[in-house]
Amino acid sequence: MMNSKMKQLLTALAISTAVVAAPISTVQAAEKGASTIEQGKKLAFSKSKGNCLACHMAGDGTMPGNIGPALIAMKLRYPDKQKLFDKVWGKPETRTVPNSMMPQFGQNGILSDDEINKIVDYIYTL
Amino acid sequence: MKKTLLIALSLGVAVGAASTSALAVDPEMDRQQVLNFFTAKNPKIAHKEYINGAYIYDADKKAQWEAAEEFPPYLDDIDAGEAEWNKHQTIYEKCFGSDVSKVRVKYPYFDDAANKVVTLEGSINKCRTDAGLKAYKTGKGKLAQVSAYLGYNARGQIINVKIESEGARKAYEAGRAVFTQVRGQLGLSCAKCHAYNAGRKARSNIMSPFLGHPTHFPVYRAKSQSLHTLEGRYVGCMKNMRATPFKPQSAEFKNLEFFEAYVSNGLEINAPGYRE
Ligand code: HEC
Ligand code: HEC
Repeated sequence: MMNSKMKQLLTALAISTAVVAAPISTVQAAEKGASTIEQGKKLAFSKSKGNCLACHMAGDGTMPGNIGPALIAMKLRYPDKQKLFDKVWGKPETRTVPNSMMPQFGQNGILSDDEINKIVDYIYTL
Repeated sequence: MKKTLLIALSLGVAVGAASTSALAVDPEMDRQQVLNFFTAKNPKIAHKEYINGAYIYDADKKAQWEAAEEFPPYLDDIDAGEAEWNKHQTIYEKCFGSDVSKVRVKYPYFDDAANKVVTLEGSINKCRTDAGLKAYKTGKGKLAQVSAYLGYNARGQIINVKIESEGARKAYEAGRAVFTQVRGQLGLSCAKCHAYNAGRKARSNIMSPFLGHPTHFPVYRAKSQSLHTLEGRYVGCMKNMRATPFKPQSAEFKNLEFFEAYVSNGLEINAPGYRE
């Protein structure tokens, strides 16, 4: 098993290469086609990315699980958006529930910081 | 009650992680705590119902499942298992005796001389290779079919795994550690899904209690339209955890099966099972 730092590094590298390699026009087109919120929603719902629906009810996502609390009223509950980012990223100080199923998406290199930012942008609308 | 197991299981984690096994687990006390934990979680579910996996938590799904069990799709597999048994009858009878209803209930057991857990499926393959036959592929196929044939013939018998030596106790403790330790990128453990969150849903899948897991294996899954062994299911769950699965018949998997089976003592064998 690769350690998580290594994985994060590799993920980061893969992402930066992708950005460098992609012709500027496609990047622009992608940005025009989908706002970060929509991209965040896609990332949150995708089984191979956030897969948040496995455990949380979120927006209009179909067949959500009920392992974690419903993702609603996020703005109200997280006035400080950074705290929400930290929770999804998995900063140790946000790990307050014993035996929690909530994955540490940033800490364990499951998602890049950029991806987590987009997801947070999306759930902040819920 | 709930707290007891939470403490007990997380203790297992701490002890395993520090690998300074100062606190020895007493299997029978541990088993009682597991029963208490599930009773506290769902006081209305009787012990004997735990042979039915996730269906105990959902009356509608249970009704649909019971209807499907009237013409279960695994009957062909049982027939195939019987044909396979008969094809090598002399060899199998030498290893397991001539009464096919008396085989399944003996497994898994702890072999003190060899100092390891012996499983039914491991023994079927050992019997084959000792006789010069090729081992069956693990997980599904003929191995699962022969196992289903033996399970079917043992229906109604009671699981009765014995722990009578320090070696067996250690195997239980090791299996329990496999069950409780967090592994893989998602930071999950078997216990998080099948103990603490049993009865909750991951997407639309209700998570079964681990109490009773071994009673109904092998299991035919509608999704893959095939029968698979308990170990095959362990591999599947480990992949979902984004962890590297242990090898078939590794000490880890055998100890895990021993742990799950001992906890299920007193429950009826109802193999093979059918699942979505
Ligand atoms: C395997 C299960 C699982 C998955 C997948 C999962 N979560 Fe969670 N999440 C939980 C659980 C359980 C909790 C509650 C315990 C805790 O706070 O650790 C939680 C808590 C949270 C909280 C805090 C909720 C609150 O009310 O304060 C947020 C925010 C959150 N998750 C967001 C997400 C997002 C976004 C994703 C996907 C990128 C996600 N989760 C994926 C299980 C999961
Ligand atoms: C992220 C949650 C999760 C984790 C972690 C997990 N499982 Fe599962 N498991 C499931 C789901 C969902 C199913 C299908 C529904 C069910 O429980 O029957 C399942 C099914 C099973 C079954 C079949 C139950 C039956 O009645 O057919 C067994 C046995 C099992 N898991 C064992 C394990 C073991 C052992 C581990 C750890 C190595 C593990 N699982 C880890 C979610 C999980």
